[in-house]
Amino acid sequence: MRAYFPIARATYMIGIVYRFGFLFTILGNIVYLGVAYYLWKSIYTYSDTIRGLTFNETFLYVGLGSAIFILLKTYADWFIHYEIREGNIATYLTKPIDYQIYNLFANLGSLLINLTAITLPTAFVMIFIFHVRVTPGVGLLLFPISLLLAFLISFSIDYFIGLLAFYSESIWGVSITKEIIVTVLSGALIPLQFFPDAIQNVLYWLPFQAIYHTPLMMITRPGQGLPVFLPMLLVQVAWAIILFLLARLFYNQAIKVLRIAGG
Amino acid sequence: MRSLAEYIRLYFIIETQYIKARMQYRADFIISSIGMFFSSLATLGVFWVILESVPDLAGWTLMEMIFIYAFYMIAISPMQILFDHAWNIRFHVQQGTFLKYYFRPLNMMFYYMSEMFDLKGLTQLFVGIALLIYASTQLHLDWTLLRVLLLFITVFSAALVQISIIVAASCAAFWVVNSYPVLGLAWKLREFSPYPMSIFDGAFRFAFTYVIPIGFVAFYPSQLFLRPEEVSPLVYFSPLVGIGLFAITYWIWTKGVNSYTGTGS
Repeated sequence: MRAYFPIARATYMIGIVYRFGFLFTILGNIVYLGVAYYLWKSIYTYSDTIRGLTFNETFLYVGLGSAIFILLKTYADWFIHYEIREGNIATYLTKPIDYQIYNLFANLGSLLINLTAITLPTAFVMIFIFHVRVTPGVGLLLFPISLLLAFLISFSIDYFIGLLAFYSESIWGVSITKEIIVTVLSGALIPLQFFPDAIQNVLYWLPFQAIYHTPLMMITRPGQGLPVFLPMLLVQVAWAIILFLLARLFYNQAIKVLRIAGG
Repeated sequence: MRSLAEYIRLYFIIETQYIKARMQYRADFIISSIGMFFSSLATLGVFWVILESVPDLAGWTLMEMIFIYAFYMIAISPMQILFDHAWNIRFHVQQGTFLKYYFRPLNMMFYYMSEMFDLKGLTQLFVGIALLIYASTQLHLDWTLLRVLLLFITVFSAALVQISIIVAASCAAFWVVNSYPVLGLAWKLREFSPYPMSIFDGAFRFAFTYVIPIGFVAFYPSQLFLRPEEVSPLVYFSPLVGIGLFAITYWIWTKGVNSYTGTGS
């Protein structure tokens, strides 16, 4: 395992090079926060709580959702697709490393740089400019664990989609479709409580809600206590293991069809 | 100088070849179109979910929101279909391949943008048209000949606004090489154009109306059809906004192209 930490460090260092880009991403997030603020403000003119959530809770959920979006979106699919198309993947096969773990750590490096460069500044903007209140509670302590599990789930899905490049010329369509499904059905844009009940019941059985809804609820309503949060965490652990193993299985199958034209 | 007719003829010749080449990857085209279908409807899905919980959004009902959204989808399609190559300027600039565009007796922007014709963007256009027809029948909108003409004019200028914003953002590549962050921001702003501008106030409303006028991509022109009696005089300027903005963008493009000296590789 120790061999993989330098990989995370390397992607972190590469990330620092693109400081100019972070400014625009933060600016984009601030504009998004403003738009979300006005949108939900106008929705909450009807009543103080909608679907059991107050304006402050919903805005915290949506705003923080945009701040952690950049962490949980791994781009592993695009990266793997590129490596397979260019044939670079061959160099990994000759090294004594596990391709899945390698990618996991590479993305962990980007997670760290995005956390410091984008997520934390966005969170500060929410607290100091939009005056969002965070209430104390046990959920705040569980949030980092939940976020890490969410990252594992998100990574496994992206990695799985990336492996499709073994079979297909381009993965643009599949990647975009996946991205939209994950974004909408995970509750990244709107809290799941807002969905019609019938749809909600289905969404709780899918892995996507474990990516955004679970960690965001821990921050939004941290006072709900362990009896509520522990089952949610267990569901995350279960999905993380299932999807990680599924992706592994798929890799073992897919690697057999690999043909690289010399060059 | 070549005439407009000649350029149109050229464009058809170039794109026919391009489409023929793309059609070798038929499965990719189908999957990409499905991806486009879902991604272009995501924000509408958000509006739908919200309007399940509250009766209207700043006074706009779900059906009206669908109309505005359909207008938005149609208005951003020309940018998606005809100007998709804007995203690649940074690669060409970085790798020095941008030089080749200087050596043809053609308008450079025309030549550069004609190299790509985004087929999957057609999905967005067709879904937008279908939704516009659906919403206008549900809303019992009266389509007189004059109204249809107005629709064409407003869509044309709204499309110009969207094209200008994206192309201007992509021009950042001429100065900073990696224009992706700037483009990413412009792309994100695009998603806010179907929002009712009346929910914003202060700096946001000002910015979305006068600085980066995304309000003119969908919300303001849609008002002409949905609530013509409430329209502010500002809306009648929307054709000018499109043409004016495109002129500015073309000026930025020319500046960028003239200042580009290559990356030395």
